[in-house]
This record gives sequence, C-alpha cells and structure tokens, in this order.
Amino acid sequence: MGVLRAGLCPGLTQDMVQLLQSRGIKTVVDLVCADLEEVAQKCGLSYKALVALRRVLLAQFSAFPFNGADLYEELKTSTAILSTGIGSLDKLLDAGLYTGEVTEIVGAPGSGKTQVCLCVAAHVAHGLQQNVLYIDSNGGLTASRILQLLQARSPDEEEQAGALQRIQVVRAFDIFQMLDVLQDLRGAVSQQVSSSSGTLKVVVVDSVAAVVAPLLGGQQREGLALMMQLARELKTLARDLSVAVLVTNHMTRDRDSGQLKPALGRSWSFVPSTRLLLDSTQSSGSLGSWRVVCLTKSPRLPTGCQETVDLGSLGTPAFQGDHKGH
Amino acid sequence: MRVERITEEAGQVSQNVFEFLRAPEPEASCSQAADASPSVFRLTSQGAADAGVRARLALGARECARRWFEMQRDLVSLPLSPAVRVKLASAGFQTAEELLEVKPSELSKEVGISKEEALETLQIIRRECLTNKTSYSVTAESGRKCTALELLEQEHTQNFIITFCSALDNILGGGIPLTKTTEICGAPGVGKTQLCMQLAIDVQIPECFGGVEGEAVFIDTEGSFMVDRVVDLATACIQHLQLIAGTHMEEEHPKALQDFTLENILSHIYYFRCRDYTELLAQVYLLSDFLSEHSKVRLVIVDGIAFPFRHDLDDLSLRTRLLNGLAQQMISLANNHRLAGKVGDMLLQYGLSFTGTKSKDGISLEKELATRSSNLAWKTPWTEEPGRLQPVGSQESDTT
Repeated sequence: MGVLRAGLCPGLTQDMVQLLQSRGIKTVVDLVCADLEEVAQKCGLSYKALVALRRVLLAQFSAFPFNGADLYEELKTSTAILSTGIGSLDKLLDAGLYTGEVTEIVGAPGSGKTQVCLCVAAHVAHGLQQNVLYIDSNGGLTASRILQLLQARSPDEEEQAGALQRIQVVRAFDIFQMLDVLQDLRGAVSQQVSSSSGTLKVVVVDSVAAVVAPLLGGQQREGLALMMQLARELKTLARDLSVAVLVTNHMTRDRDSGQLKPALGRSWSFVPSTRLLLDSTQSSGSLGSWRVVCLTKSPRLPTGCQETVDLGSLGTPAFQGDHKGH
Repeated sequence: MRVERITEEAGQVSQNVFEFLRAPEPEASCSQAADASPSVFRLTSQGAADAGVRARLALGARECARRWFEMQRDLVSLPLSPAVRVKLASAGFQTAEELLEVKPSELSKEVGISKEEALETLQIIRRECLTNKTSYSVTAESGRKCTALELLEQEHTQNFIITFCSALDNILGGGIPLTKTTEICGAPGVGKTQLCMQLAIDVQIPECFGGVEGEAVFIDTEGSFMVDRVVDLATACIQHLQLIAGTHMEEEHPKALQDFTLENILSHIYYFRCRDYTELLAQVYLLSDFLSEHSKVRLVIVDGIAFPFRHDLDDLSLRTRLLNGLAQQMISLANNHRLAGKVGDMLLQYGLSFTGTKSKDGISLEKELATRSSNLAWKTPWTEEPGRLQPVGSQESDTT
C-alpha cells in the first residue's frame, strides 16, 4: 500500500492529501486504519467522502477473492505436466514438471544439475515443441551440448534448428540482472511479444545459488530480502504465466554435523515445492556417469524414493524406464 | 468494448458510489477510470444490482488488475543504497512506479534524504523502468538475450587457446575455451604456474597459426612468476612457429611471425601483483575498466586464488562469500569481454581459486623486467609430471 497522492483514486484531490498529511496520515494504511470520525472533525472533510474514499482504496489495494470451485476449474485447464525426457526423473516427479510450481535440483559440483537442465530444455523444445527460457548464471551452458542432445533425438537438421530456436538463452550474473530478466519476461508476455511458434512453458534458472550466495550472511541484511524477492518473482511468474520453473542449487556442509545439505538455508527450502537431490552412486564415485536421484521434498509422492540416471545417455529417446545401477 | 459496457452500467451504479465519483459526465469519468485502474470496476461491481453484470465487470477487473500489477516494480529489486531504501520504505513508497512522477526536491523533503541522493535514486529508477518499457521486443543491451541457435553459431566461430600439450588439448576439447572460466588444481610443484605462463604466451599466437592473437593479464598472488622462465618459453615458442612457417611458404605466415618477437610477447603480458585478499578483490573488480581500455586481452590468469584467503581470513563464511562473489565477477568478465579466465590453485574443497597481483594499474612486462629479475629465485625445480602434463619448455618435437 503506497503513499497517498492526488489522483491515486477518483476523488482524492491534492487539498485532501495535504490536509491528511498535516494530520499525520501519509499512506493508504494510515487512512484505512484511522478513526474516520476523528479525522473528519480534525481535517474538516466530510465523513461521507472519507468513507467512500476508504472503500475505494480498499477495493483498489485489497486482494480479489476467488471462488474455490472457479479456482479448481482454472487449475485443471491451465496446469500442464511437462515430461523431462528422462524416465526415472519423470517417475519421481509424478509424470513430469508441473506448470505453476517451482522444482529444484540440488547437487554437489559435477553431479549433473546442468546436464539435467539441458536435457529438459532439449526435450521440451524438441519433443513438446514449446518455448524454453534458460537463465544462465554460472556459464555452464554450451549450445554444442544441447545440439548433441538434439542429435541423439532426431537426425533431421531442420528439426534441430527449430528446437534450438525455441530455446532462449539469457545470461544474468548477479541478482539485479536476474530480477531485471524476470521483469522483462513479464513485460514481454504481457505485451504479447512472441518470437516463434509455441508458448513459453519452462523457465530454467541455472543456478540460483550462484547469484544469491554472495549476498547471504555476515553483516548484510539485504541478502535475505533480495533472495525472498527473487523467490516471490519466480513463484508469481510460475503461477501467472503458467510456466514450470526449474532451478538448481548447490550443496554446503552443515556447520555442526558436517553433513551435506542444500545451500541457501531454511528460508529458501520453503520456496520450491519439489526438490530432487543428485548424487553420484557409490560404485562409480565421481568418475562414472551414473547418478542417484532422490526425492527429498514433494507435494504428491512420498519422499525418500530413489532412482538412477545415466548422464552419459541422456536424451536418447530409447532411454525410458528405470535402469538400476550395476 | 469494456468501456462501452461500463458506460452502460454506470447508470445502474448505486447512489453513494455515483455521488462519490462526482463527475459532471459519468461516461467520461468511467472511461477515464476504465483506463486508469481496476478499482472503479470493482467499485461499480459492488454497487451494480445485476449479478451477471457484476461477474463480467469482475472479470474485466481481474484482467485489468493483472495487467496493472505486472507493470509495477518493487523497490527491493532495484540496486539502491540500503540507507535510502530503508527511508523510502518508512515513508511508504513500495513500487518504482510511485516514484516516477516525483521530483527530486519533493522526494528529498518527504523522505528525508539529501538532494543528491534523491537525484541519484530517481535516475536509477527511471533508467530501470524506462529501459524495461522500451526494450521488450528487442534484445537487451550487450546482447544478453539470444536463442540457442545463435549461441551455437557463436561457439562454432570461437577459438581455443592451445596449451601446446596435445593430451591436455584433447581432454579440454581443443584447448582453453574463451568466455568460460577454467580451473587448474594441483599439489605444490606440479606445474600450475608453468602452465599459466605457457598460456600467457600461447594466447598471443597469430591467427594464421591457429591462435587467438590476443594479450594476457597475469595476476600473481604467490610471487611465483619467473620472468626468465617466460623468456625461455617464449623463445621456444618462436622457434616452433618458425619451423611451422618454414613448411608453409604462404605470404601471411612469415609476415605474422615478424611481429611475434620476444619484446612484443613480453610487452603484451600485463602483470599485476596482489599481496592480500583486499588487493586481489580490488584488482578483479577494477579489471572491467582495464579490459575496456585494452580490448585485445583474451586471457586473464589468476595464479593462486586460495593463497591470500587462506592466510588472512579467519571468518570462513566471509571467505566463502567473497570467493563466490569473485567467481561471479570473473564469469561475468569472461562472458562480457570474450575472455578465458584461468585460475591455478592448490587443492581445495571448494571450486574457484583465483590468483591476483597487487598493482592497481597494469604495467607491461617490459618495465617490470628491470625491477624484478634480480629478486626472483627458482623455488621448486621443474619436474616432469608423470602422465598428463609434459614439460612445455622444450617443445620442438611434440605438440600438434
């Protein structure tokens, strides 16, 4: 709720604003909470005008109530489930990425987070023919790898080129650039600027920890606020534009127990609705291409389920179903 | 369409609402309100008797509200100074749009900040909001947005910086890639600084020989940069290229080799010496300006990123934060200036290690030669690492 200004709503003139300010009522909240009879007496304004003004302000700034049944109908029609292109991941995600939600992939460096994101982008662009926005914040994206993944799916070069054109790549190396990018996206969609066929269905942010980690901790108070601002942007983007948001996160070591845990702390752990943990299998260590994926947070399936994924053969259409590690 | 519907229903609006609007022509005020804000829609929907009308108006209001909401930008997301932001919040300002129409003098009086701060704040806000509004359909400045297809084309034309060790080049996929950061870890004495010095020379190889023909920035924190070793490496490289030019009797090869002399090679390596982590951080953050002036730089080497952080810093979380920030800054530089950033480091648990040198402005190596060569001592003998890395000094036989 903002500052009272002339013209904020019909009926609020500059004189009224100045009279109210002289009595200490500067913001909308102040006016809505004030005792209007008293204000009317002190300021010399008509009580009816103040009541009408308050009603307009409440209507303007308060949230709009939705009927539960309408909401359910809207959800049924607007939510889509996007397969990731990896069979075992789809099993853990209950058929795929849900639009309107934020899904997170956590893992140690080199565990394959960027590879999974690239595979999802390639699958959505080629298999589902939808647009993807890939926000790269640590330089892990190489278009040649996406091309490899696409070549494994189809030998037709035109299809590959078409799929590559559906993937938009933006680079954002600090938090303000990333917030700018998300704001641009909002504006572009609201003005209905579309680049090619298909609508935007997936936004991949790789990685969130890279832009947020330099801000947290220490004497800075702002870090948490900026992280929550980013979280809010991502969630409202997912909900308003009906896209699936996929983010990646690092791992840090817990100070007391020495265990590995996802970075960015407890506040961030409430943001994604689904969380997948990538880890290397015990047999291959860090050199093999097999990874164990564990579901650590999910609104639909019981947590603790595990599947294995072979990063080396990502993207081949024949790669479906689960392969238990050997 | 919507405006006409509103003017129709305006007649049915209840008495006190109409009285509140107090407009001489209800149609005009309603059409104004239709464009301005969704509040009037909701208001008229409350007063309207017909449920169907109310529903239609409510839908219109929701869509309007959504559109309106999307254009507002929260002040938290703008890069303002924290003190100013706190004062703006306590004065009640929350979105950027509210500040767009305010004059600096008004703002400084209301919020309680100085006129300069108010002016600066408004400049930031105007720049952010206006660039957003105008550039939706166009790619953003500095070409940040592109499709994967365009990125692929860029990558195909990009060169690599060869290391003169074919095994290393093979595993790297051609050499050190540009626009990315590469890290080299190893125990002391394994050859990281040697490789860094070799690369500082390799980046200058002319294009007709398959090089990048760029300059190098060498940031040194451990003081392990040996100028006489660089002279050896450079001489070997020149001899190697002369052999290649001998087999290719085309025009460009000998001509390009004329510029590839020892003096030129050494003068295109910009050497910085940083003695503690503050100097390292300052150097890396100031590098952006340096790189804008010296646009031919293609390689930034930081030799020993962990060294200053290990000794001076007791606060571990601060160290992690600084390193993360440094990493992001390096990646951003590499991307914006099309460089390869390279770091050599001792074995560490976490990723990036940079090394930096101390001096604020880059001194070209020729000047440094005179003051430093007497101080250098050869600390660890050059050993041949069994396996991958091969001694890069004596080069004539292998490579390529």
